[in-house]
Amino acid sequence: VDANALRDHLVAEFRDTVQPEIVHDLLTVTVTPADWRRVAELLRADGDLACDFFDYLCGVDEEAAGIGLVLHVYSTRHHHHVQLRTVVPREGGGVPTVSDLWFGANWHERETAELFGVDFQGHPHLINLLLPDEFVGYPLRKDYPKEKRQPLVRRDDLPMNPMKKEAP
Amino acid sequence: MDSQLKQLVLGRKDVQDLSDTETELPPDLMTVNMGPSHPAMHGTVRIVLTVDGERIVKSDVQPGYLHRCFEKESEYATYTQIFPYTDRLNYVSPMINNVGFAMAVEKLLGITKDIPRRAEYIRVIVSEVSRITDHLTCVGASAMELGAFTAFLYFLKAREWLYELLEKVSGARLTHSYVRIGGVSKDLPDGWIGELLYTLGEIDKVIVEVEVLLNNNKIFRHRMAGIGAMTREDAIRTGCTGPIARACGVDYDVRKDYPYSVYPELEFDVPIATTGDCYDRYLVRVEEIKQSIRILRQAVVQIPDGEIIVDDPRVALPPKADVYNTIEAMIRHFKHIVDGIKVPPGECYAFVEGGNGELGFFIVADGTGRPYKCYCRSPSFVHLSTAQALIRDHFIADVVPIFGMINMIGGECDK
Repeated sequence: VDANALRDHLVAEFRDTVQPEIVHDLLTVTVTPADWRRVAELLRADGDLACDFFDYLCGVDEEAAGIGLVLHVYSTRHHHHVQLRTVVPREGGGVPTVSDLWFGANWHERETAELFGVDFQGHPHLINLLLPDEFVGYPLRKDYPKEKRQPLVRRDDLPMNPMKKEAP
Repeated sequence: MDSQLKQLVLGRKDVQDLSDTETELPPDLMTVNMGPSHPAMHGTVRIVLTVDGERIVKSDVQPGYLHRCFEKESEYATYTQIFPYTDRLNYVSPMINNVGFAMAVEKLLGITKDIPRRAEYIRVIVSEVSRITDHLTCVGASAMELGAFTAFLYFLKAREWLYELLEKVSGARLTHSYVRIGGVSKDLPDGWIGELLYTLGEIDKVIVEVEVLLNNNKIFRHRMAGIGAMTREDAIRTGCTGPIARACGVDYDVRKDYPYSVYPELEFDVPIATTGDCYDRYLVRVEEIKQSIRILRQAVVQIPDGEIIVDDPRVALPPKADVYNTIEAMIRHFKHIVDGIKVPPGECYAFVEGGNGELGFFIVADGTGRPYKCYCRSPSFVHLSTAQALIRDHFIADVVPIFGMINMIGGECDK
């Protein structure tokens, strides 16, 4: 399906809540965190969109604006890519999980949670994936210094969930 | 026998407990640690298995032991300096990573159409050689883990021939850093194509040898067929690509569905299987090796003469003769190395067919010589997330072929 037709379809569906635009041949839909789940469900279920293939989900530190989230999905039926974007606040920001819609989002959300400090509400198993439980801070944020080193001291009393950790 | 030792090893107190008359196994579940230092755990990954006898009821897959902060390092490196990092993502087929990253930056620069055709052909040739090395390693290592050591040695022998060829092109056996934004760094050496064609002929023979050894080998088939099967729907909603998805019947190959470079000019087939088990993954990989050889044979005939890097002062380094003899070229060279290539602000996602599947780079540029954000969509990461479901209800011994055929590459998965 043509990216322009898709954009018109999304605008008709959501009127003013979404801002679709086409960047480098890729339809990018920017939504508020509150609409994240609703638009994701539509992308998954709508017959004209039918984005059944999960590509990736990642974070982008947008400094003062907050932490950006990028979800990229693809339709194996219509052969189109759609990118969903939102920005959540730096402190305590989060969106509902989409891991029940696309199983592939499960690990991507865990990775984004530990590296950027974004909560994915309703995620079944939101614990650290790449980092040790003792790690303090969110290393892919721009304010985390690249040279910073942390000694790994094993502790047994830590909550496993990266969102429940104390701030650095 | 020392009963204390026996208790330690077997959890039983008395020698009588070990008598043959006892037929019942202990009824409670047991936790077994597999990895991170286990010969079958490619790279490093730890799996905590909860087993009922030999059967796996629960597992926790824990990657991260090879996390080298690719994304964070990239934000502090110029675009050209990122190539060595991409080499170390999938270190079995670094050339494809190089090409994928270069394509993402070229898309942002808007010079995708301007890449010289000779450079495009060289990229395709080195990518396909890399794809063969990737599949040879995966199939050979998996066969070895199942006891077929001969097949492993045959395939590694063939892989070494290809590494030698890549070494002649790039100067490095494994971490090539050969591709540059806008083209490639060096032209093919004299006589290289003849050597490649000779090697491909030898590899044909090796593949026949290994297929005879493995395809109808009773042990190999029993260990692979019906093990770790995945449905087409599961593959799609997880985001599986590459040989794993094609073994389940997902007809998706980036080279065909989103043709890039000069792939539209080359004739090849995409092998598809139906059952999605380990044996089908093996068959798809072997067939892909044959298709890559087919692509290479066409590409070396069609490759034109000409430039190997785009003629654009923003992107390409000036010729060395100018750098040493003119002040303008000297300054350009200096600015290029120190400040990097200025990429206009914007964001894009470019993806290629890697050895394991769709390998993509999502780059956010802010107008400087360094990316603001460089995310790598690594197929191994996605594939490893399915491992937990794939090994459930299998035996511990089945973890080895399932893992071998997922072909999780630590560097690519953990980034």
